[in-house]
Amino acid sequence: MTSSSRMKGFITLGLLPALLLYLVFVIIPIIWSAYYGLFDWKGIGTAKFIGLGNYLEAIQDPIFWLSFKNNMLIVAASVFGQVPIALFLALFLLKNSWFHKFIRSSVFMPMVLSSVVVGIIWGYIYHPEIGILNFLLDRLGLSSWKQLWLSDPSISMYSLMVPIIWNYIGPYLIIFIAALQNIPSEIDDAAKIDGVESSRKLFSITLPMIWDTIKVAVVLCISGSLKAFDLIYIMTGGGPAHSTELLASYMYNNTFSIYRFGYGSAVSTTIIILSLVLIAGSQYLMKKNYR
Amino acid sequence: MKASSHSSRVSSSKKRMDLRNWTGGIVNVLMTMYALVTLYPLLWLFMSAFKTNEQFFSRPFQFPTDWQWENFTRAWEVSDMGLAMFNSVIVTIVSLVLSLVIGALAAYVLSRFQFRFKLFFMGLFLLGMLIPIHSTLVPLFILMNKVHLLNTYWALILPYVAFELPIAIFITQAYMNTFPKDIEEAAAIDGTGYWGIFARIMLPLSLPALSTVAILAFLRFWNEFSFALVFISKPALKTLPLSLSMFATGYMTDYKLTMAALSLSVIPTIIVYLIFQKHIMQGMVAGAVKG
Repeated sequence: MTSSSRMKGFITLGLLPALLLYLVFVIIPIIWSAYYGLFDWKGIGTAKFIGLGNYLEAIQDPIFWLSFKNNMLIVAASVFGQVPIALFLALFLLKNSWFHKFIRSSVFMPMVLSSVVVGIIWGYIYHPEIGILNFLLDRLGLSSWKQLWLSDPSISMYSLMVPIIWNYIGPYLIIFIAALQNIPSEIDDAAKIDGVESSRKLFSITLPMIWDTIKVAVVLCISGSLKAFDLIYIMTGGGPAHSTELLASYMYNNTFSIYRFGYGSAVSTTIIILSLVLIAGSQYLMKKNYR
Repeated sequence: MKASSHSSRVSSSKKRMDLRNWTGGIVNVLMTMYALVTLYPLLWLFMSAFKTNEQFFSRPFQFPTDWQWENFTRAWEVSDMGLAMFNSVIVTIVSLVLSLVIGALAAYVLSRFQFRFKLFFMGLFLLGMLIPIHSTLVPLFILMNKVHLLNTYWALILPYVAFELPIAIFITQAYMNTFPKDIEEAAAIDGTGYWGIFARIMLPLSLPALSTVAILAFLRFWNEFSFALVFISKPALKTLPLSLSMFATGYMTDYKLTMAALSLSVIPTIIVYLIFQKHIMQGMVAGAVKG
């Protein structure tokens, strides 16, 4: 055996297991769901080809659009909630002292908890009778502010945003701290010598210098918002009256509660297309320079 | 004249120092409060786990008056947590070993060899990090059903590994790229083959990157919920998050037991977090930013 053919053999054998697993369990399912999305299929029996029928049905279904809107609400809550809060915290947590490290660790900690645990804890916090939130409002004499946090369709989606922000803020904080620590100290010194006001410094120096990082954070918000399924499944299951339905829970309920596998596949494909479009779109929008 | 202007400058700079100390103090207090609010749901969880049901809602903010240690033993038995832990341990360990070995091998090939379509393969793996996991639930369910893997450990292990590979390869390859080429050349002259170089040189040298990959993968596998929800319905095979979610629905009104069960399930992840928090933060950020 020549050395070059031995090398080729090694390359093939080395890549094969990873490639095989990845193709079979990640890539092929995506292609399959695009294919099954063209059929009316209950999971058993024969599948009937209906072309784009499932997609047409989805775009005519108000619940599909409600789910889409809720997904967008989560993106908005992340972009306008998580990013500014994390940025604000980061500006004050730059030192590597034990105190700053402790606060960073606390903020990051929910990331390592299972979303099942997070969902159940927040379910209890929001519980109308035994929940500590309503209990606290009672104690503070604000009984009129008490709400059916998760079972009132008009506010349930907003109630869910608090645990979502709480849960996923850690990585943004760490990214921003790393970016801020990378700003050369000469720039800071120069600003100090020129007597630049701190608010002016923030908007004219600091933010432009970490603009690339903010871009990354926005992309993360978008891809992260599609992951909120677990939390919402545990806390509300998409209810009441579909008010907290996400595209993922809409897909889940259609597929595994009423066994419309073809329709569920079409929604899956829509989710993939949507997330790729959103990521590409956000990248394009953020390409414009700061200011 | 000169002296007085000097002294006034001194006093104004002293005032500024005072002001800075003050604002610094206020910021620290605010940050501490933020950290406490962040940690509170978890503190509340542990506190409630020691209470009686009556104290759970009559005194939600106080410490328990007598600590009900037996809540934990009861919760362990009633929720059949031993079995769920066992399942979670098996699934996590097998997935972990497979991800590390297969991922490191692919990373070695991609980092050290030149071949056709190399960039294509790397792009393909990168693509995997942009795909929302939930959009593959339906087609993977159909696939698992066809190959009769539903309700087996493999239904979880194979997709877990497949979805972890892109990040594992990405982190390990980036680390291997920094090794100087001479190490392998020396080994090759000694007659060590590619497999020998991989096993005896690359693997041990990559240990820091591999440990980051391992910790992140551990957390993800241990906490994973949606695949378990869809692919596992046999009670004997339920993993920890799945069995907790069932337990919480079934025992919704036995608060102390639910809280104790949640506490028990959270302890391993908290310990891992406390030991490896630096790795976890850096790794999650690196894993998140890649896209």
